[in-house]
Parts: sequence; C-alpha cells; structure tokens
Amino acid sequence: MSTSASSVVRFSRRARVEHVAVMSLFVVLALTGFPQKFFPDPWAQAMVGAMGGIDRVRWLHRAAGLLFACLLAVHLGGAAWPTLRRRARLSLVPEGKDFQDAAAMLRFQLGTEAQPPVFDRFDYRQKFEYWGLVLGGAVMVATGFLLLFPLAATAFVSGQLVPVAKVAHSNEGLMAFLVVVTWHIFNAHLSPEAFPGDSSIFTGRIARERLRHEHPLEYARIMEGRALEPLAGSPWWSVLLAPIRGAMLVMYLPGLGFVIVGRHLARRAWRGLSSFRRARAPEPAEKAESGEPPASAA
Amino acid sequence: MRLALAFALLAATGAAWAEEPPPAVLGVQDCLACHGDPDLSITLGSGETQSLHVDAAAYARSVHGSALNCTACHPGFAEPPHPTVNTANRAEFRAAFRGVCKTCHLENDRKAHDGVHWQLLAAGDTRAPFCADCHGAHAIAAPARPRARISQTCAQCHPAVVAAYRASVHGRALLDGNPDVPACTDCHRAHDIKDPRQRAWLLETPQLCGKCHGDPKLAAKYGMSPNVLQTYLADFHGMTASLHGRKHADGARFTALCVDCHGVHDIRRVKDPESTVIRANLVKTCRKCHEGAGEAFPAAWLSHYEPSPTKAPLVYGVRIFYRAFIPFVIGGLVLQMGLHLRRHWKAR
Repeated sequence: MSTSASSVVRFSRRARVEHVAVMSLFVVLALTGFPQKFFPDPWAQAMVGAMGGIDRVRWLHRAAGLLFACLLAVHLGGAAWPTLRRRARLSLVPEGKDFQDAAAMLRFQLGTEAQPPVFDRFDYRQKFEYWGLVLGGAVMVATGFLLLFPLAATAFVSGQLVPVAKVAHSNEGLMAFLVVVTWHIFNAHLSPEAFPGDSSIFTGRIARERLRHEHPLEYARIMEGRALEPLAGSPWWSVLLAPIRGAMLVMYLPGLGFVIVGRHLARRAWRGLSSFRRARAPEPAEKAESGEPPASAA
Repeated sequence: MRLALAFALLAATGAAWAEEPPPAVLGVQDCLACHGDPDLSITLGSGETQSLHVDAAAYARSVHGSALNCTACHPGFAEPPHPTVNTANRAEFRAAFRGVCKTCHLENDRKAHDGVHWQLLAAGDTRAPFCADCHGAHAIAAPARPRARISQTCAQCHPAVVAAYRASVHGRALLDGNPDVPACTDCHRAHDIKDPRQRAWLLETPQLCGKCHGDPKLAAKYGMSPNVLQTYLADFHGMTASLHGRKHADGARFTALCVDCHGVHDIRRVKDPESTVIRANLVKTCRKCHEGAGEAFPAAWLSHYEPSPTKAPLVYGVRIFYRAFIPFVIGGLVLQMGLHLRRHWKAR
C-alpha cells in the first residue's frame, strides 16, 4: 500500500478505467435508451431527431450495450480470478456487518443511537450500489441480447420471453437510471459529507483525513500494515455466493428504510396517542404509576 | 330530319321519360338532333374513330341531366358549325375536355391534380384516368350510390386488385351492403390518390386502418379489439414506423406495417383458416422479413393483446413486479437520503 503524507492509494488503475468506462457507457445507453422507451413523447422524438434518426440511435445503443457486456465480463473475470486463486478477497461482498451497519446508521439518523457505525474499505451504501449495478447490469445484458437476437434466442427459449425481456430491459434500465441519479449522485456528490464530490475514483488517491473519517477500519488496518484477509481455506464455490449476498443487500436496504422509518413513526404515533389518552381519560393503574392528579376530579 | 330524329328518340325512351319527365333544359334537344345519332362520329388524325353520340336517356338520368345544358360543359359549341378540334388521337381528344369540370368542381379538380393519376398523365401515361374516365361524361351518376359502385369504377383499370378486394373481409361485406367497411376510396381517397408505394403514404397506413380499427363503437359492433392500433404502436414494429419519419428511400423494407402481416386488398378475418395471421400461418408471415424464424418466434409478438394474467402471464407478471419494485427501491433509498439530510441539519 503506497502512502504519502497527505493521501493514500485507494483504487487501482484498472478500477479507475472501469469506472470511467461504465460511466461513459451508462450515459450513452441512457441517452439512446430512454428516447426508445418513451418514443411517443415529443421530447423523445426530438432527441431521436437530434441524434440522427432511430437507426443511428439503435446502432449506438447496441454498440454501447455490447461494450457494456464486455466490460461486465472483464470486470467479473477480473474480480473472480484472483479470488479463485486465493490471492485476494472480494472487498465488496456484503457481510453480516453491512446489514447491521445499515440498520445502525438509520437508528443513528433517527436519534435512537448515539454513534454512527464505522466502516471498512466499502460501506453498505457503496456495496448496495455496486451490486445494484452488477446484478442490474447482468439483467440488462441478458435481456439486451435476447432483444438483439430474437431469432437465435427463440430457437432455444419460448417466444414470450422476448416481450418479457423488453419489459424487463425497459424497467430495469429506468430503475438503474433512477438509482444513479438519486443514490449515487447523493452519496458521491450531494450529501453534506461528500459535497462537491469524491475524486478518488478518478485520481486513484484519497486524502488521508477523508479515509480516516469515512473508512476508519480500513485506515486502521493500513496504519497497522495489515491487508484484508484472503479467503484462505474457503471452497472455490464461495465466489458464487457473492452475487447472492449482493442480491440480498439490494433487496434488504430499500425495505429497511421503510421498516425502520415505519416503526419509528408508529412508535411516535403510539406514544403521542397514549400521552393524549393519559391527558384526557387516565386509567386508575396509570394514575398510580404516574402520580398525576386525575383529570376527571375537577 | 332533325325533328324526326328527336321524335324517334322520344319514342325510344318514352317509358323512362313518362315516369319522371325531366325539366326541359334549354337547348339539349337541339344538340340531340345531331348527337342523338348513334352513328355520328369523326375520324381523328391517327385514323381512330371517335363517336360523338350522346345517349339522351342516360344524360337525362344523370346528375346533370335536369340542371345543365350541353353548352355548360361545351361552351362555344352552341351553334353549328362547331369550332374545329384538332386532336391527333383519342387520348388527345379526351384531354381536350379535361378542363371542363373545374368550372364547377374546382376543389375536386385541385385535389385530383395532387393525385397519382394526374402525375401519370403529366408524365405522358395516357392510360391514366381523369374526371370523365371514372365519373363518365354524360351518364354521370352519384359515384358512391350504392357504395359497391366505387369498386366497379376502379375495376375498369384495376381488375386484379378489385377481384382480390371482393374476396376479402371488407369486399364481401361491401357487396352485402355493409356501410361500415371501406370501399377503395375510403383508404385511397377519391381525388388526391397517393401512390401507395410511397413511404409517406405507407407510414400513414396504421392511422388509416386505425380510423376504423381504433373506433370503440365499431369494435363493439363486430366483436373486434379496439386496441390493435395502440398495441401495434407500442411494440417494436409500430415504434419503428412512428420514429422513422420519412427518412428511408421509397420501397426499402424497414418495418412491418398493418398490411405487411394482414395483407392489403386480400385482408381476411383473423380467424379465417387462410388468414396470413392465424396461428397456423403466422410463422410463414413472419418469415417474409425474418428469414429463418423458428416455430417459437411468432410468440414474441403478443398478437395485439395487452399482457394479462391469461394472455402472456409472464410478461404481465414482470410488468407488475417492476411496477412495485421500482417505487420500493427508489422510495426506500429516498427515505434514507431524507433521514441523512435531516440528521445533518439537526446536528448543525
């Protein structure tokens, strides 16, 4: 781990290149995909016209999609290979701590916990986004190929899967876009901690202070000269569990928001209701407990 | 002699005239004195014979018979000797009268000049029709009464097309007197007929078919789906047709329009065993464009059905899943972003 006085290496050249590539392809795919999804709308037709007609828009979308598929394959290969050879550990695979961290963070934000959780190399929000991208990307690639080669695909699968793929591709794309413009833009740019943005994925280096603040566990490890423990001794198929854990986090995190906020609101409502009841018509047991004078005495 | 001829005509057509004597239109009888002669003719420069006979009874029955005298359409021919008409052949002879109708029917004349028939005439194709060729010269009747008359008129030059049409679901119903089905001119128009091979016209065919097939009243009357146009437009073919505009060269195959699957003049009921779109024939129809399509391929198109639990349940299921999943994910994340900001502002 190369360090200097003020900054620490956070991302390899490969990770940085992959990020720029996926970012550019995402923009091209969104710009050429949404006018196709919303083609009856005037703005979509204007965009198609501005890009030189539907044929070119489709060509661009397919070319970018094929590149995206290659990128996904290269990325997954690059992540799986060293892991299979027990040389590295997948630092983005969700662990039990991530699920606990997410709940702890929400409790902290609601004021029921004094301290926020502390994170290692990647926090649960980053892992959520990574797995959303990888799993959503896999859905997009699979359905995209089905839509690109319907003749070849229907030689093997039912014809109904083509319109299924269209519905899935179109909706999954919309969701990916919405997650990026909300979750990613917020966490990487607009949140008070990140504003105006974290440049480490472009430069490869993170300020030492920032690392210590945002990833204290990793900072401590680096200071002690320890690396992440490799998957020594675990079987080869443990790599296959990674996407399952990823999917679990992807489903868990949004639901957690509803559950924790819902529970919080329900508790407050209950508390409000019971204090209101106490004030209006206190029961004998409560009277004794609280020691309040009975309201009905007057 | 003139008088005798007129009397002879009167006698010959007496029966018709006795029922409904037409109001005397001034001067017609004078002209018929000569032009009532079935043998009256001239020889054109080409050696062709051009009859100058006018069927008095047919003219009297025509839409103009009770209103116009001969000179209304043939000004300058009031008195013999008539001006000399120098026409080399029958085509030129016909052409010499082309400007006549617009005196009264200016709007239709203008439309006809936008039509494909005029383009052909202007390009020198003398077979192409103008006013009198479809409507007749002297025996002009209401062109669409009965409506089956329309297809008879077009059949004069387009017999094969009309034969195919008469065997189609539309044509058979038209012959049965059904007022809801399209006759030739309902799709092609009467005067401003466009070249049906033109891209611009082809691209309008979904809207054209949709005029009837998107009408809920007609759909209910005949047990048809009113969603065929909207389901077509929502799918790949319809989207391509909507977005293509008029960019492609005419004739280049670029997407399937209604007529590419259902046929043009020979459209059959979709349940007809010979229909191009019945399940047994569908893959053959797909292969017109999608060479090598397998038996599973046609199911990729939902046959104008909206996905539902019974039709395309898998498509329906995935659609419902995303309808719930997208708000779930985005809502859950936005909630957490809101909490994050709330905490930040409270701490400040």
